[in-house]
Amino acid sequence: MIEILSNAALATVQDLGRNGSLRWGVGTSGAMDDLALAAGNLMLGNPVGAAGIEIPVFPFKLRFGADCAFALTGADCDARLDERPLLPWWTHRARAGEVLALGVPKGPMRASRALLCLSGGVDVPEVLGSRSTQLRGAFGGFEGRALKRGDVLRCGHDGHGRPTGFGLVPPALAMPLQRDGIAAVRVLPAAEYLAFEPASREAFWNRDWKITAQSDRYGYRLDGEALRPIAPMELLSHGIVPGVIQVPHSGQPIVQMRDAQPSGGYPKFGTVIEADLWRLGQAPIGSRIRFIETTWAQAVAARDEARQWLAKVERMVSLHCSARGAR
Amino acid sequence: MAGEGRTDGVAALQRAGRPVKKTDAQREDIARWLAGTDIGYFELRTPFETLRFGAPQAHPAPTTLRAASVGVFRRAHPLHAAALAPIGEPVPAGQAVGVLQIGPLLLPVLAPVAGRVARWLADDGAAVGFGAALIEFQETT
Amino acid sequence: MNAPPATPAFSLLGTTALLFEAPGAFDLEAQQRIWALAKEAEAWPEIREAVPGMKNLMLTFVEPPQTLDALQERLMAAWQAARPLARSGRVVELPVVYGGTGGPHMADVVAHTGLSVEQIVELHSAPLYPVYALGSHPGYCYLGGMDPRLATPRRKVPVMSIPGGAVSIGGAQTGVSASAGPSGWNTIGSTTMSFFDPAAEPPAALQPGDMIRFRVEAVLR
Repeated sequence: MIEILSNAALATVQDLGRNGSLRWGVGTSGAMDDLALAAGNLMLGNPVGAAGIEIPVFPFKLRFGADCAFALTGADCDARLDERPLLPWWTHRARAGEVLALGVPKGPMRASRALLCLSGGVDVPEVLGSRSTQLRGAFGGFEGRALKRGDVLRCGHDGHGRPTGFGLVPPALAMPLQRDGIAAVRVLPAAEYLAFEPASREAFWNRDWKITAQSDRYGYRLDGEALRPIAPMELLSHGIVPGVIQVPHSGQPIVQMRDAQPSGGYPKFGTVIEADLWRLGQAPIGSRIRFIETTWAQAVAARDEARQWLAKVERMVSLHCSARGAR
Repeated sequence: MAGEGRTDGVAALQRAGRPVKKTDAQREDIARWLAGTDIGYFELRTPFETLRFGAPQAHPAPTTLRAASVGVFRRAHPLHAAALAPIGEPVPAGQAVGVLQIGPLLLPVLAPVAGRVARWLADDGAAVGFGAALIEFQETT
Repeated sequence: MNAPPATPAFSLLGTTALLFEAPGAFDLEAQQRIWALAKEAEAWPEIREAVPGMKNLMLTFVEPPQTLDALQERLMAAWQAARPLARSGRVVELPVVYGGTGGPHMADVVAHTGLSVEQIVELHSAPLYPVYALGSHPGYCYLGGMDPRLATPRRKVPVMSIPGGAVSIGGAQTGVSASAGPSGWNTIGSTTMSFFDPAAEPPAALQPGDMIRFRVEAVLR
């Protein structure tokens, strides 16, 4: 059991997303860094899609109301448990009364969101098949909203009998992706790609894009050269998914993120591939990114690579925990 | 070390072939001198006797911390530049003083008692076998 | 408006989904064929969900297939065979206050269309609008049947937040927001209605096949 001690941190309960309700206008939501959530759960022996807490704003504090095992993945945020420094991407054991404090992520490779997984997962009701917070619809997660001071959340169990005190090499190090020293993500061209001027297409792949302050779980607004269509386009509304890069009239692209609405009408330049959404989800406001043109086969292979990394994590964690005499 | 003057006296008596044991006064002198030093235990052996001042303390031998598995030894967490426990810096019992990387997994090398890393026995980033010596760890007393 | 494609268009939404855009005129019959196609494709094992849009269909994958050719062929054949799926639904009447603070972009629609506020209100409240699809946000209905004279392009810069109940025009379409959020459409009025309840079965109040009529409650300046 945990009690939130911080306000205005935009922290939300997320799992791997809500599927099957796009037909009602309900987007998938879910953790911006799905790999960090999955890995944290695997370290704790949770189901890979158990709900955790995504923390995008720092500093952040909470108090453990009962003994609990937990994992902190995602951003390395100088975490302390009752002032004891904690290693990042690691599992720990908390005693009732201890306070977990997350500081501000620092350093050149800093990520922007921390994921806190709890033994047994965050225990909130499932709504439409998921525990992710649906902010627009104000349901799911913890009361359909971001967490605030005083909120008390339960975890599935206290994690007793399972080893803690080990960690993982973060995927940013295990599967790095950069272009000219800048964080990069792979993009598959979308329906209106060829309807943009060749010079715009060239610029898209070859320049840096800055993630502006008008960026959040709904979408990232990018600053850079305006992308120009060959002729003005007015499209009928159609389904979209997280990763779709829309270009409104201003020409400044918007990358739809996890809380993206499930449909839109702006021209679509391309889609950041599913396997790289976590990279974008961790890119801080004000940082720069590059886009890499990719093919279907490469995108599917990238997804397989992420799956294989998780499978290896699960295997190694399981071996380690059984060697230490737990499940 | 005892002052030259005192040993000259004992040596002179030895050269004269006279059996020598320390008198109470001489023992007190030695004790008084020792009190002004940081010597915890002082043993003086002569052909005639052995004098002991203070109490022998077991000076702990350093412990060798070894790899619990095949893996890659790292002095720092992969996300950090600084070593977990720089040489000589005191660490409490149970703190990680190194990590062992096995595929994606990171296992801590833990300080068995309060102390400090005295010496690295494996290179940073070295592939090590099960039981390989990693760190010479010195308990602080 | 763009000229509609002569043949169906397939495009990718990353590795997450395939987008199918139907050719030809945009009318109820075309949309009913999309409904039929959705019903068929939903049963395919590699498809997680079939989500109708406006004369288009998004198919999300359970797992992205290694190659797409077979799926596209099957989809093309299913489209050609698709008969309009008539869905009988109910008529819901929504009272709308046009203009005023609830319709902040009425002036932009006036400027673009050349119509007066009265003409816009009359043309907007006259038809019976079929619900073509749900999307955008929980419970939101995309409506067909708007008079083309009212068509006004989406805004250059989307508005950060318009309230639930906002009645808006985007391109050739009209719709009502079910909850507060950002929008690139032109808001001409406001209404009150509960469009979504996650505990209900189904959770959305309206479905494809239902119809909406806008009743003029007031016209404010």
